[in-house]
Amino acid sequence: MVPEERYHVRVKFSKVGSLKFISHLDLARTMRSSFLRAKLPIWYTMGFNPHPKMVFSLPLSVGTSSLCEFMDFMLTEPIPYDEVVSRLNAAFPAELRAISAYEPTTRFCDAGWAEYEIVFDAPNANDELVARIKDMFAGEVVIEKTTKAGTKEVDISPLCNILSCERADGGVVIRALLSCGENSFVNPKYIIDHIAANAPEMADVDYTVCRTGVFMPDKTTEFR
Amino acid sequence: MRIPESILKKVEKPGRYVGGEWGQIIKDKKDVDVRFAFCFPDTYEIGMSNLGIRILYDIMNKMDGVWCERAYAPWVDMEKEMREHDIPLWAVESGDPLADFDIVGFTLQYEMCYTNVLNMLDLAGIPLMAAERKKSDPLVVFGGPCTYNGEPVADFADIMLIGEGEDEVVELCLLFREYKHSDMTKEEFLHRAAQIEGFYVPSLYDVQYNDDGTIKSYTPKYGDIPTKVRKRIVRDMDKAPYPENLVMPYIETVQDRVVLEVYRGCIRGCRFCQAGMVYRPVREKTVERLNEAAKKLIDNTGYDEITLSSLSISDYTCIDKLTTEMLKWTDERNISLSLPSLRVNSFTKELMDKISTIRTGGITFAPEAGTQRLRDVINKNINEEELLRACRVAFSGGKTAVKLYFMQGLPTETDEDLDGIIALAREVIEEFYRTPDRVKRQPQVTISAACFVPKPFTPFQWEGQCDYDELCRRQKYVTVKNTDRKIKYNYHDAGTSRIEAVFARGDRRLCKALIEAHNRGMRLDSWEEFFSYEGWLDVFRAVGIDESFYANRTFGEDEVLPWDIIDIGVTKEFFLRERHNAYKEKTTPACSEHCSGCGANRLGGERTWCPKNAITSE
Repeated sequence: MVPEERYHVRVKFSKVGSLKFISHLDLARTMRSSFLRAKLPIWYTMGFNPHPKMVFSLPLSVGTSSLCEFMDFMLTEPIPYDEVVSRLNAAFPAELRAISAYEPTTRFCDAGWAEYEIVFDAPNANDELVARIKDMFAGEVVIEKTTKAGTKEVDISPLCNILSCERADGGVVIRALLSCGENSFVNPKYIIDHIAANAPEMADVDYTVCRTGVFMPDKTTEFR
Repeated sequence: MRIPESILKKVEKPGRYVGGEWGQIIKDKKDVDVRFAFCFPDTYEIGMSNLGIRILYDIMNKMDGVWCERAYAPWVDMEKEMREHDIPLWAVESGDPLADFDIVGFTLQYEMCYTNVLNMLDLAGIPLMAAERKKSDPLVVFGGPCTYNGEPVADFADIMLIGEGEDEVVELCLLFREYKHSDMTKEEFLHRAAQIEGFYVPSLYDVQYNDDGTIKSYTPKYGDIPTKVRKRIVRDMDKAPYPENLVMPYIETVQDRVVLEVYRGCIRGCRFCQAGMVYRPVREKTVERLNEAAKKLIDNTGYDEITLSSLSISDYTCIDKLTTEMLKWTDERNISLSLPSLRVNSFTKELMDKISTIRTGGITFAPEAGTQRLRDVINKNINEEELLRACRVAFSGGKTAVKLYFMQGLPTETDEDLDGIIALAREVIEEFYRTPDRVKRQPQVTISAACFVPKPFTPFQWEGQCDYDELCRRQKYVTVKNTDRKIKYNYHDAGTSRIEAVFARGDRRLCKALIEAHNRGMRLDSWEEFFSYEGWLDVFRAVGIDESFYANRTFGEDEVLPWDIIDIGVTKEFFLRERHNAYKEKTTPACSEHCSGCGANRLGGERTWCPKNAITSE
């Protein structure tokens, strides 16, 4: 059997708006139909039930939007990368956008850090609250982590950096750089829960979370 | 998105509330003067699968100045949040509240969704009673199969669109536009609407009753509106609009694939079946039209599965040619083709080899009754030999499990017929062992038994439903008689079937029962976890309605029936003739063999089987 030609492609994409509430599994279904609409010759697995092979990068909680998602797949014929982007965008729902496409040179597990923007809808927030939030992350950050083995207290301070915390537009905006390593993934929910636990007035405040960037372990080189 | 995110984060499957799907139509409100909210009175997952909405959404959105959006019943967790935070029901495309729409349309697919209709209107803040809605409120219209007898919901509808909606929705939007931009009163508008064929305006017909509670007459309020509202049909299925694109749900839905409608109507004439009568006359599409539509839909949607849809797909005159043509391109593109509703006499080895979903999925047949006598009564023209032959094909093709559909409580049914159900299942097991090339595993037969519900516009429309206790006894009888572990017996809830029967054959006096049920917080009655038989009996008691008057009483042949106000083409004389044939155990041939003069031929159109010289009686 002649080995099939395969061309590895990585697509960086954003998902916002209604897509925030679409689970990983449903996103994969949407990708599958988008590829068919885009008529991109995606490589199918060879088993009894052939299906297009797609691999996604970091997990993203339902309710979180992202400007920085990655998906790997293979094409059976070479297509210029900018054409891959334009054909996908023509086939994607409006709130799902392909940003760039290229040949991957890294593995997903090479990513070390993810940056998030957390916006609290807190019109009454004052400078004192902002200072208090900053203070919560100054030393140890002890959170309760629930695993199959039970609940335990962990200090996640080595795995989280609060880049900024300020008042803006009737709310509090926090930019946080959180570890996204395979065994040290920090869900932004831990940050929100930590704030709620230490500032009771923030417990019932509505908030949005958006992943804005993914970086290598050196925290400065963008993952691609 | 206008629903607070904190709520969306809390509820189950938020994807069903946010819209944004590929294929949804967004219009600029500046360019729109008729806004239509197409409501499906059940959850998103069920509603998104409805073929009628797909067709009509496409038609209305192709009209200039008309924007059709979708709305669904929220699940209980979302409803609770909505009521707590005063969030009115919205349409998924724009997120605008339904009360802001010009027309709010509901498709009524089954009787048990009626409470959802009221709950959705209530959640939208729209007055429930048509009489209480002013010109400034949305116009509420109903369509779909239940409107063939929409009397139990008559007080809630401004207009019911009877029959196939393709042309009706266009005419409705155009007339509405004229009404909206003029000083025409609502009464004048409804009067005009009632003059259009297929437009039933319940408030323009007075109902008089006899002392015994039966209906005396329907009286139109105006001399220039019809005394019987005739259903509309699509005259040429090949030329009828069919969507070339679909809204692609993010979340998994019930019918998550391209549904290709092959023809309307049914040649068979099973005497319990309403769909087989109300969709007459039989009108087929051509292979060319279907194949072309299928390709376009696959290209535009990105679905990888197509199902061919109609009441009895193997009765399509060109089924072989169609599947051959389609498989030429579906196979190489990894598109799977599926066929629902196969009849035993059409189930062949060739077909099984051809259709992948038959190869991989389960196999289901519907003998409907356990003995040949009863199958003759209901005009289900298949026999045991044909069933066993079909099962043998399945077994030699590697299958071990067969599902058999039956109905219990059919007119004239005796315990002998119930014994026949078990005996037939046993024969299927025996047939497995008689099949030489069967696989070496245990066979399994699943009997799935529904309760017979008499439906309007069928030869059995006069029959009283078997009493509740008796239905339960018959279910228990089969349970006890079934001693074979290879046979599994499932049955439908008798309580649900009885309430369904009440509303199926109900009249306008049931509107007050629905209001009472709504006031008691009843909804989602088609969901086992929310349906309460006792709750319904309490409702009927509270409003002074005897449910057995509707469900269990045998209606008189000369009685005015609640649905006599509607003309579906098929005549009452035909139904009577068929009813008498049923009691004589005399079968009636399919339309393809011989015209039995049902009356649907009068409706005209490009009919597949009807003789060109119209016959109305034999």
